[in-house]
Amino acid sequence: MNALLGIEWLKIKRYRTFWVLAGLFILLLPLWNYEVANGFIKMGGGKNGINFLSNAYSFPQVWGNLGFWASIFITFISILVIILTTNEYTYRTNRQNVIDGWDRMQFYHAKVLLIIVLSFMATFYLFLLGMVFGGVNSGSLSNLFSEFQQVGYFFLLSVDYLGFALFIAIWIKKSGLAIGLFLLYSMIIENILKGIINHYMDKPYGNLLPLQASDELLPFPLLQMAKAMIPMGATLSMTTYAIVAMGWCAVYYFAGRMILLKNDW
Amino acid sequence: MNPILSIHNISKSYGPIQALKGVSFDVPEGCVFGVLGPNGSGKTTLLGIILDVLVANAGSYSWFGGMKPEDARKQIGSLLETPNFYHYLSAFNNLEITAAIRQNGLEDRIRVLQQVGLFERKDSKFQTFSLGMKQRLAIGAALLGKPKILVLDEPTNGLDPAGIAEIRDLIRKLNKEGLTIIIASHLLDEIEKVCTHVAILKKGNLLLNRPVDEVLRSEDQVEVRAADMAGLQHALQSMNGIRKIKLADNVLQLSCDAGINSAAINEFCISKGIVLSHLLLRKKSLETKFMELTN
Repeated sequence: MNALLGIEWLKIKRYRTFWVLAGLFILLLPLWNYEVANGFIKMGGGKNGINFLSNAYSFPQVWGNLGFWASIFITFISILVIILTTNEYTYRTNRQNVIDGWDRMQFYHAKVLLIIVLSFMATFYLFLLGMVFGGVNSGSLSNLFSEFQQVGYFFLLSVDYLGFALFIAIWIKKSGLAIGLFLLYSMIIENILKGIINHYMDKPYGNLLPLQASDELLPFPLLQMAKAMIPMGATLSMTTYAIVAMGWCAVYYFAGRMILLKNDW
Repeated sequence: MNPILSIHNISKSYGPIQALKGVSFDVPEGCVFGVLGPNGSGKTTLLGIILDVLVANAGSYSWFGGMKPEDARKQIGSLLETPNFYHYLSAFNNLEITAAIRQNGLEDRIRVLQQVGLFERKDSKFQTFSLGMKQRLAIGAALLGKPKILVLDEPTNGLDPAGIAEIRDLIRKLNKEGLTIIIASHLLDEIEKVCTHVAILKKGNLLLNRPVDEVLRSEDQVEVRAADMAGLQHALQSMNGIRKIKLADNVLQLSCDAGINSAAINEFCISKGIVLSHLLLRKKSLETKFMELTN
């Protein structure tokens, strides 16, 4: 396992695109949240707009709030995973790795381990940011861990997104098309499908679609408030969403495995 | 001697096109084994299958009498189709990845880069290399860790004449050191100069698989011309030891048994009162044999 990760590290440590995209994630996530927390980004017009989210940076709300924004910023890392994987096809280094003595599954598992490590690092970064934002904005640390499961939800969401990105990359093989399809699916297609399914079903089963299932774990922070005021109809539990998201991760894994074992490289 | 590679009944199709049709042969240890064939005959497909980047529809292969394929590949240096490296990494850093996968030490990198003449460029990125340099790096990567077998697919692609000669010498030298070398090429001249065995493929069929000297033995050709070609042909038909006479481009091409040389033919013609204006001994090349078999 360490050997596989070590070789992945050799591949990326001198790759500028990796550092740029990872750097943008690291830089922009706190910057964005700093602006939201301090009222630079508001609802409504100009300086008179309302800062809805200024309270969302104290413990324990900070976990769900940061998690929500990070779930949007994880797109940077998803695109990075697609680029790293499709590069192998473009340069035909996937073949070379096998010719040099990996079996096909070692090539695959190196990438799977990479997305788990990236997810773990993104989650740890979220935890650090949460400690800083929460520490600055909370009077006490007594509520620090009361919504801490949301940090775990972010890890699951990250594996879901990056796993989906890895599957798309292995399936499509072409970098531009894979990135295009990933963005199109995550932003548009899934919402269309979700709308149709939820419209015709008595429960919101459309929320169980691949990326939506984990998005439901970290909803937009104001939604919690809205739920208290507006009747929301039937809902599904967080446990359901978490289990379904894990199920999707397994589906990506086995589908990718099948493609790699069955086809020519 | 035990075969170092056994190929058994391998078939492969791409949709309606059958690229390999039940190909079987053994590669003995210590030989230089040439896989020949025109473009599209299935050479690269065959090598891709035995290196596990392509999946055969039927058949099997075994390295070293049945070693696990991925373990075997770590002892095989291969160059398949194109040099495949990370474009944004230097030659040196690319070889670091190759060495890590093959579980070799890193110190060998300098030796192989010197061997293929790229040591001065070791820190240049792969994307700045010329085609010939990329090819050299691929050959260097194949030599990393002193493999027991080399599998080379068109190894002289993109090399200049000096480079081609260097690679040929390198192959001979490595073979003398005991390496088994499997080389696919459509450059027959090159194969003829280095190979001890050949297999010839055409449209996915194995046409022939034998030691080179057996393929070429006793098949010398003599070309003759005289003023009266009809008379010459008539006279030669009665000479013993001439198996075939063919008229081509104003000369008669004679296929002769061993023991018949140009002096004997000349003497025979003079005894028949025919003066030859042209007499040429042609050693049968792999090229003529190849053309005979594949056309």
